[in-house]
Amino acid sequence: MFSSSQFDAASAFSGGGFMPSQSSQFANSTPSQSRDTQGLLPVTVKQISEASRSGDEKPNFIIDGVHVNNVKVIGMLFNKNVRSSDVRFDLDDGTGRVECRRWVTESVDTREMDALEEGIYVRVIGHLQSFQGKTQLNVFSARPVTNFDEVTCHFIECIYCHLQNSKGQLEGGAVAQPQMTDSSLSTPVWGASNRNQPASMNNASVQYTTDGFKGFDKLVLNYLQQPANIDREMGVHLNELSQQLKAPIEKIKDAIEFLEREGLVYSSIDDYHYKAVEGC
Amino acid sequence: MDISSPAAFVNGGLLRMHVGRKVRTVLQVIRSDIASVMGKSTDGFQVVAKGSPPVPLTSYVEVIGVAENENTIRAELWTNFGDTFDGSNYDQLCRLANGEFKHLFL
Repeated sequence: MFSSSQFDAASAFSGGGFMPSQSSQFANSTPSQSRDTQGLLPVTVKQISEASRSGDEKPNFIIDGVHVNNVKVIGMLFNKNVRSSDVRFDLDDGTGRVECRRWVTESVDTREMDALEEGIYVRVIGHLQSFQGKTQLNVFSARPVTNFDEVTCHFIECIYCHLQNSKGQLEGGAVAQPQMTDSSLSTPVWGASNRNQPASMNNASVQYTTDGFKGFDKLVLNYLQQPANIDREMGVHLNELSQQLKAPIEKIKDAIEFLEREGLVYSSIDDYHYKAVEGC
Repeated sequence: MDISSPAAFVNGGLLRMHVGRKVRTVLQVIRSDIASVMGKSTDGFQVVAKGSPPVPLTSYVEVIGVAENENTIRAELWTNFGDTFDGSNYDQLCRLANGEFKHLFL
């Protein structure tokens, strides 16, 4: 699954990148846990101002239906106020102004903040929080913008992420729903009912899990689920799958990637050996 | 948090829609004097920015200010955007920010 064409960074490093490609759609299939897969979201101040909040004790910001913690904002810095333990400033990105606070504990922080002059363009990465009823950014990083194409790029990213997240919402209603019923039966976490079935567990589960699958994914899964293969500690090599099922390696990788996302198979000793999850 | 005075992204063509309001645009400097810059907008219109331009000026300069009429901006803030700015990207952004995605900006 690690061929460069298929490698999906967003789902592999979910939480790390700020482009919510695949992962945000996946988020819809399990709403309770992965709505906040957004690691870092580029936003405009206007979007922050319109963010809805949830949770009483620890307020959460929701933009386009996605829980947002860390954001990137690019704008001009004003009203810089250097204090003993922190530096406060307003960031104006042309859509609005947001108050920012950067805690200064080490000389690195001081140097970074010293470089910021009034009125210059700054790229700010920080944690959205609500303090005494006011929304503010707890800043991790504030650096001057040196290439001004970045300003354009930032706002285009804002549009892109807005589109991705809101599109995910719309599709979520129609597409993710059936996905959910499938995965609730097939993935071991949800499939408690599977475990209650005694003797012919393997067969029963194959019937369950294959419901929503394409024929070929089913073939790959069936092969990996053969008792002899389940017993192999190292798992099955992709080449072996390719030979046994008489299919090109790319097709195998596609199927494996799909099955892995569904939580039905996992890589064992390296990225080329796979095993089926037992008991599903 | 204050979103009461946003500055709309504009190019030369969009400027007329925002007369009397705060705008931001990027101009390619054609000529400048102590109190104004005449420049080409990202969509090829001639736009005048009045105020006190920075010295020295780079080829591209961003101005934020109030649109006086369809080709003049009373500039309050000037930022040198360097000599290699991509005007066509910016122009596309202006269109998106005044069209389909206006609600993210204004």
